[in-house]
Amino acid sequence: MTVLPPLEPPPQKDLASEQYERGREMLGVESGLDSVDLVQLDDSTMELNMGPQHPSTHGVLRLVLELDGEVVKKCKPDVGFLHTGFEKDFERHNYQQCIPYTDRMDYLSPLFNNLGFSLAVEKLLGIEVPLRAQYIRVLMCELTRIASHLLWYGTSALDLGATSPFIYAWRDREKLLDINELVSGVRMHTSFIRVGGLLADVPDEFYNMVNEFVLTFPRLIDQHEMLITKNPIWRERTVGLGPITVDDAMNYGATGPILRACGIPYDLRKAHPYSSYDHFDFDIPIARNGDVYDRYLVRMQEMRESVKIVKQALDNMPDGPVNTTDRRVALPPRNEINTSMESLIHHFKLVTEGMRPPIGQVYQAVESPRGELGFYIVSDGSNRPYRCKVRAPSFSNLSSLPHMVKGELIADVVAVIGSIDIILGDVDR
Amino acid sequence: MTGPVAPSAATRPVSGSRAADLIARELPGLILRRAVAYGEETVWIPRERLVEVCRLLRDHRDGRYTVPQFVTAVDWPDREPEEPRFDIVYQLRSLEFNDWCRLIVQVTEDDPSVPTLERVFAGMDWLERETYDLLGIIFTGHHDLKRILMPADWEGHPLRKDYVSFGEPVAFTHNLDWALPALERPPELTGESR
Repeated sequence: MTVLPPLEPPPQKDLASEQYERGREMLGVESGLDSVDLVQLDDSTMELNMGPQHPSTHGVLRLVLELDGEVVKKCKPDVGFLHTGFEKDFERHNYQQCIPYTDRMDYLSPLFNNLGFSLAVEKLLGIEVPLRAQYIRVLMCELTRIASHLLWYGTSALDLGATSPFIYAWRDREKLLDINELVSGVRMHTSFIRVGGLLADVPDEFYNMVNEFVLTFPRLIDQHEMLITKNPIWRERTVGLGPITVDDAMNYGATGPILRACGIPYDLRKAHPYSSYDHFDFDIPIARNGDVYDRYLVRMQEMRESVKIVKQALDNMPDGPVNTTDRRVALPPRNEINTSMESLIHHFKLVTEGMRPPIGQVYQAVESPRGELGFYIVSDGSNRPYRCKVRAPSFSNLSSLPHMVKGELIADVVAVIGSIDIILGDVDR
Repeated sequence: MTGPVAPSAATRPVSGSRAADLIARELPGLILRRAVAYGEETVWIPRERLVEVCRLLRDHRDGRYTVPQFVTAVDWPDREPEEPRFDIVYQLRSLEFNDWCRLIVQVTEDDPSVPTLERVFAGMDWLERETYDLLGIIFTGHHDLKRILMPADWEGHPLRKDYVSFGEPVAFTHNLDWALPALERPPELTGESR
């Protein structure tokens, strides 16, 4: 009799390790994977790249986020993807040729860029444009402010998942672009404001179009506000989010609605009135908490104030020319060219070479929808700016983003970016 | 013409005089030069005292220049050695007194450096990086002085006047070499320099 050895249980098949071995065979990996710990529960953070093609970054902004779970520990914005060297371009173009470049910096409020640059050059030349030109400048700028805020309102609501405001905002903005087209022939990059005045006087239909807009728009703002101001989802997402204190906002150089949402009623239209803004009666909306919701409230109220200014400009519109008669800037009139040789020469020189402001340096700021937009121009007496530095509001505002999103959830970063209202063309120039 | 008459620029106070007077009073002998033009006052200060001056302007109760507006530099390559090549321009705004001021620090081509102000104003971080990127001004003590607008591996500083970025001039009889294809041109014809 032979005693059989006791039966051993069949080897348990470890499915996981089998898969693992097969995987190693397929990949041809000898060893090395063994040294990797697959599960690590420690306090390490994760770096996440956001953008530059992310739809909520409103252009080409890249953020490198350091995340602990869902909480943002650190945020590093990476800008410059739209840098086009406009400041270098200014140095090789004469002053009138620079105007179309200014349009393309802050492409959602081009008229403010035109205005800032024109006012700076006029300051160098010591020119004050006729009152009618000043009023039309104010009127068009305030319409642009409304258009810019409408676009901001639509897109930043869209970022948080509300589609309807976007559609309604686009509907209303379209009317403003039609007005742009009427006065300048172009819907966005109008180059309407020129050094010494305007491109041309406004056509007769202009008054009816603006009047109709002024009459209907206050009711439309109420509609917009009805959609989201008291909407619980909107409030849940924005109240108390991304706050910044007054001191921090000033320290970062943030201006415009961001500063006013902290409770500082600082607006260059009141503080340093330009282009006869002191003739108009309007208020500066402010809020207290400096969070995303307050920035929203400030901008919505600013649109109402802009309508007030437009209405007053329309009612009190003075008659007269829209361009200066200063011959350093203005072309000689046609009938004079026909009879005077000197005028013909002057016309030729002004068209081919351009104006020559005196030597000096000036700074002129305007209140754009995003804050203080300034032009610092150094002139060496030639027909081209020796140096033109643009103080872009979006650049300084965006530099406060890391401060605002620290400690917030990653999903809220989108809302904070939206609330700053950056235009990457303005940041990068 | 109807409507009220626009106020002329002459009635407005000179921007920056408050800051200039404050520096002259608190730090006597420091100002190198003052100039008023176009209703704006510019103050030239030595770079060793820049941080001190900015702290004074920010903290003094008669100044409160708490908002950094911008930093930039202006390149004057032809004026050395009589005067330094770069003007570094700082502008600060005071919300309390509704004023702004302009400070200029001059640095030479050999040593284009200036102390950083990022510990005085947080916003100076990006503004100084932009100036470094485009004009090659070194801000000593800056924690992260690297390019911000240009790509990280870019060479040169585009807003310097000797940086060639411009197109080719139109070829006439006096500069016919420009009509040659790019590779056959004499090497000195690389572009219009300024």
